[in-house]
Amino acid sequence: MDTQSPASGGPGRAYSLDPVTLEVLKNSFSTIVDQMAEQILRTCHSFVMYARDFSSALCDHEGNTVMQGSADIAVHVGTLHFTAKAVIEAFGDDIGPGDVFAVNDPYLGGTHFCDVRIVRPIFAGSEIIGYSQSNGHWADIGGSVPGSFDVNAKEHFGEGLRLPPIRIVHRGRYCGDVVRMIVSNTRAPEAAEGDLHAQLEATRIAEIELLRLVAKYGRETVVTAMQEVQDYVERLTRQRVAEMPDGTWETIDFLDYDPANGEGLVPVKVRMTIAGDRIRYDLSGSAEAVATFLNGTFGSSFSGLVTGTKMFFPDLPLNSGFYRVLDVELGPPGTVVNAQWPTAVTGFCSGSYGKVVNAVFELWSHVQPQRAMACCVDIEYLLVGGRDRRTPDGDVFMWYDWMVGGWGGRNGKDGSSATSAVFGVGEAVQPLEGQERLCPVVTTEHQIATDSGGPGRFRGGCGVRKGGVLTAMRGTVMSYCCDRARSITWGIQGGLPSIPHGVWLTRAGGEPRYMGAIFSNVPVGEGDRFTRPSAGGGGLGDPLERDPAAVLEDVIDEYVSVGRARRDYGVIVREIDRELDLFEVDMEATRSERRRIRAERIGWLSEDPEGVAGRFRSGELDVLDLVRQFGVILDWGTGQLLPQTTAQYREMLQRRAVPAWLATEGGAA
Amino acid sequence: MTVASIRVAVDVGGTFTDICIFDDRSGTISVEKLPSSADPIEAVLQGVEKAGVDLHDVALFSHGTTVATNALITRRLPRAAMVTTRGFRDIIEIRRGTKEDLWDAYKDVAPPYIRRRDRIEVTERVDYDGAVLTALDEDEARRVAGVLRRKGIETIAVCFINAHANPANERRMRDILAAELPGARVSCSSEVLPEIFEHERFSTAAANAVLAPLVSGYVNRLGDRLKSSGYDGDLLILHSGGGVMTPKTVEKMAVRLAASGIAAGAIASRHIAGLAGFSNAIGLDMGGTSTDISLVADGVLRTTKEWFVEYGYPICLPSIEVLTIGAGGGSLAWLDEAGGLRNGPQSAGANPGPAAYGRGGTAPTNTDANLVLGRLGGELISGAMTLDRDAADRAIGGHVATPLGLTVPAAANAILRVANANMADAVRLISIRRGYDPREFVLVVFGGAGPLHGVDLARELSIPTVLVPPHPGITSALGCLLVDIQHDLSTMFLGRADAVDPADVAAEFEKLEEEGHRRLAAEGVAPQDMQLLRHIDMRYVGQWRSMSIATSGRLSDLGGIVEQFHAAHAREHNFRRDGAKVEVYRLNVTAIGTVPKPDLPEHAPVTASPAPTGTRPVWFQDGSAAIATPVFDRASLAAGMVIAGPAIIEQLDSTTPIPPGATAEVDAWLNLRITV
Repeated sequence: MDTQSPASGGPGRAYSLDPVTLEVLKNSFSTIVDQMAEQILRTCHSFVMYARDFSSALCDHEGNTVMQGSADIAVHVGTLHFTAKAVIEAFGDDIGPGDVFAVNDPYLGGTHFCDVRIVRPIFAGSEIIGYSQSNGHWADIGGSVPGSFDVNAKEHFGEGLRLPPIRIVHRGRYCGDVVRMIVSNTRAPEAAEGDLHAQLEATRIAEIELLRLVAKYGRETVVTAMQEVQDYVERLTRQRVAEMPDGTWETIDFLDYDPANGEGLVPVKVRMTIAGDRIRYDLSGSAEAVATFLNGTFGSSFSGLVTGTKMFFPDLPLNSGFYRVLDVELGPPGTVVNAQWPTAVTGFCSGSYGKVVNAVFELWSHVQPQRAMACCVDIEYLLVGGRDRRTPDGDVFMWYDWMVGGWGGRNGKDGSSATSAVFGVGEAVQPLEGQERLCPVVTTEHQIATDSGGPGRFRGGCGVRKGGVLTAMRGTVMSYCCDRARSITWGIQGGLPSIPHGVWLTRAGGEPRYMGAIFSNVPVGEGDRFTRPSAGGGGLGDPLERDPAAVLEDVIDEYVSVGRARRDYGVIVREIDRELDLFEVDMEATRSERRRIRAERIGWLSEDPEGVAGRFRSGELDVLDLVRQFGVILDWGTGQLLPQTTAQYREMLQRRAVPAWLATEGGAA
Repeated sequence: MTVASIRVAVDVGGTFTDICIFDDRSGTISVEKLPSSADPIEAVLQGVEKAGVDLHDVALFSHGTTVATNALITRRLPRAAMVTTRGFRDIIEIRRGTKEDLWDAYKDVAPPYIRRRDRIEVTERVDYDGAVLTALDEDEARRVAGVLRRKGIETIAVCFINAHANPANERRMRDILAAELPGARVSCSSEVLPEIFEHERFSTAAANAVLAPLVSGYVNRLGDRLKSSGYDGDLLILHSGGGVMTPKTVEKMAVRLAASGIAAGAIASRHIAGLAGFSNAIGLDMGGTSTDISLVADGVLRTTKEWFVEYGYPICLPSIEVLTIGAGGGSLAWLDEAGGLRNGPQSAGANPGPAAYGRGGTAPTNTDANLVLGRLGGELISGAMTLDRDAADRAIGGHVATPLGLTVPAAANAILRVANANMADAVRLISIRRGYDPREFVLVVFGGAGPLHGVDLARELSIPTVLVPPHPGITSALGCLLVDIQHDLSTMFLGRADAVDPADVAAEFEKLEEEGHRRLAAEGVAPQDMQLLRHIDMRYVGQWRSMSIATSGRLSDLGGIVEQFHAAHAREHNFRRDGAKVEVYRLNVTAIGTVPKPDLPEHAPVTASPAPTGTRPVWFQDGSAAIATPVFDRASLAAGMVIAGPAIIEQLDSTTPIPPGATAEVDAWLNLRITV
């Protein structure tokens, strides 16, 4: 894969623009993309887009990204240049002033079909000097299910309308026929066209502003600055990378399972090599594409690598200069990280993408321990769609919900609680009061999930729990796009995992039933109740090393229960007066409990899994005991042991937890 | 006894307390500036005394304060509690989940104003339409009150889901708390902000709860001190929305003071521009560490309901829209690792301050650049402070000029170009992205550093005219004298414009207006001084943000308003969708109690020419040599005088360079009106 194209400059190359002009134009480019974002926020129709699932870019005449919006959704990062290049490739010389193009093809470097990218060439005189691009997640792009998230889709045909680069404005004339063809294939044509307008205007604002700069500074200067802003970022990035130690690090993260292969975690392998001022990533060895839509194409996998890396260089601007420093080998085509047409890929965001990102976090935690971070929550989407009996005509409704969760424990700091997934840090959760107006679903809880933060010397941030009861509806189904019910959000350096994902559904008058983390089109009806948690972050460091005073504070705020304080941290907290927040740590009992856990815990990881599963079924052990102490993974609904998954999960704990435990035991003895 | 004829306005900032005194009889303005005190009231009273004002003679005392803003930022807040619907105690901790810094995993959103242990749930539930699904469990409610009593918490936010649609349960909870906890302050979300969206409403109510004891206490103490010294009127407190309110309203709506401090400057710039004949103005208030930018279009200051003091905790009551950026006189110029010349947002602050202050600062700032270029003289505040030019030279030489291979003046120029470009980008964000063309605006520059940058900035933005008010340093305080009592009331009203019965809209407006009347009457506003303005918030069906459209008179149908909405959408967002359905989202009433305003005196033009006090070399442009430039004392300038650039105009609280090609004229209100 060509991510290098170093033609326009290496680190040693001097700039031709003076530093002041370059700084001024760099900031102007940044203002332009932020103006585009503002335009989208004020005029978009899709609630997904309004929740900040969009991005804006200014690209150069070759399609390389010069500047991306400062608050753009992470998952689009590193893909916008691919789509600009796809437009150039498709239309070549046939791009004229007043043309605008649309593209959403994930096999051409896009992310998934709902992300519709509007690309406008910017002409100074007769010459193209760049492209402005607005990428937004439409609420629906057709396919077999509302919201275009068909968990069971195996091929793109069930997922939605595929747009290769096509022209939607031709020499200034709006191609209404083409646009109608597109929006007629969505479930909400009016909203789709409204979003298209918002995006068209956003790209036009960029054109106006870029031409203003041309008028002021001259075309040559602006075009040069568009290159040199990329060189600037490349140079800065290379300098930083050169200061890092050379070496190779590798790790492995997992998707839960491939329904085509039964149980067993699905590996995503990431190997990173730092050599001088270059970073090389190699995803070879990752599994074959799975038979759900959790696969990623080259665009989203590249984006995952950029996102993971960028988190360790927070102050660097994002553009193609940054991408040039990355040398990426995705491995053979057809894998879960390099899926090919027509493999279904819409759920990549809950699937391969988050695995790549978190693996990169772990690798960089070795290189930059001062910025270390354990695994963070992956994005999940719950969809309830059907007919709303509150309206006279039984209007179609779509309760399309995603949650925040916990980020991983950090060096010297607990993880961030109740935070949007790394996938889209700016992606805001929806107000339930708005949802209740629009859908016959009454939310019964939206709160922090006690004990969801992975235990560690620095605890993972807490996840949340959200659920509801279904009211006046008919013809309604529920689908869930999620993962990490088995490959549970993990800790590092001795830290422990969070909690398994999955929906619990209680039929009217029935018992709660575990539905798992990925399912589609389950019929539901009035009176049914559901809830699901989001993962907290994984812990960082040995939980037995956590300051008992910090555990005490967590207990007072009910981030941690008294029971888990004992089991996960070995801290014995006694309640004096809960109403007045009065609790105390029994230090003597704590020392002795910590000694006991230290002596036994490595042994727990090799206890007979069937025996552990039996103790779970009899109620002696609970889910958190299994995932945090015994490393045993079950089908959480039936209590059946998953032997292959358990073996892989235990191997993971051996790698991420045990060495650090052994090290602290030496120190604590 | 004489008729009280003095108006006093006090603007308390973090560093300085500015006092502006206007004498109705003589039409004169006098000013005082003194360092703010630990208890802000001390500096206020000292300043009044220093100005020789007898509070018996004061007809009106108005006050802008950063007390609330600072309390929120520093978290010096009383322990507060929240009582909320079962299942929802974490709404204000979950927020919308977003982070301000997307890429720095080590930078967190601040914790909520009320800790989890102090957020207590009760059983109750209302649905989206206001139907009570579960009545408030009153036994539980009383138990909660008992817990709060034991905890000794005296300020409580009551935040129930869908309370905007039906406040009955919240009110019942409030009554129970009042009965069980006499003296506690209760902020109901449906009273503070009766609007849909739980986090925004809860967050606003929580901010009100934590501020109430503090801010009310402050305002009441100040009111008592003024009264005992002879002031007979109501203390008027500037709120974020650009109006004033009395201590009585502050009791209920403390959160409205959260941006009191920054509103004043915006109001003053509107007034100054208006007098000078400009209905479109961009206000630029540049101080030592930051710059506040505001915008007036057609005589109206832009307001917003989407703002916060700390990221993640919105305060959704109208606030004057002020964009604050980290660019001030003390902003540091620095080279990044790739050799790029950057400016701010780090600042040398007041201590050590710019290198030129000679207090140990060695890094170059905008002030240092202005000094070495001669735009700023060697003295500040009429000699109360001298500047060290050599230190400024060394700072710029060592940190910028040498590494970039430039001369010191060229490096200083480069520093200012970057600073001005950053400010220009900020102005673009607040103007162009809202559909306004800066060329149709006047730039009003004030604050200590604003006038230094005014002309360069205007040229960068193609703004033809710059106004420098007579007292740039205390312009904000002046703003406090120029406002009316104002209450902003709103109610949700959701429905398609073509299906809405105008009579229902009118009835809702009347309800809001009654409440407005009631509040104004309670503050002693006479009926003839009351004014009620209506706005309808509308949007295209399916859109998420709405636009506010002014309306008045009888509403027989909504057609005209819908057309106004299309037009406003086209102006602000560059497109309109005539075929698309429009919906009504919210109704707003602004209840105004007119406060008499000072008539700023007009001065007849003189024919005399101004005489310079001396000359000094000044570098105005990159690459050019220094020009021997005449220096004028602003105090000696009279209306009608004209000064062609190059010139420097100095005064107690600021300095205004007039570069070659620009011309300054002193207008009837003694503003410098610079044609750039």
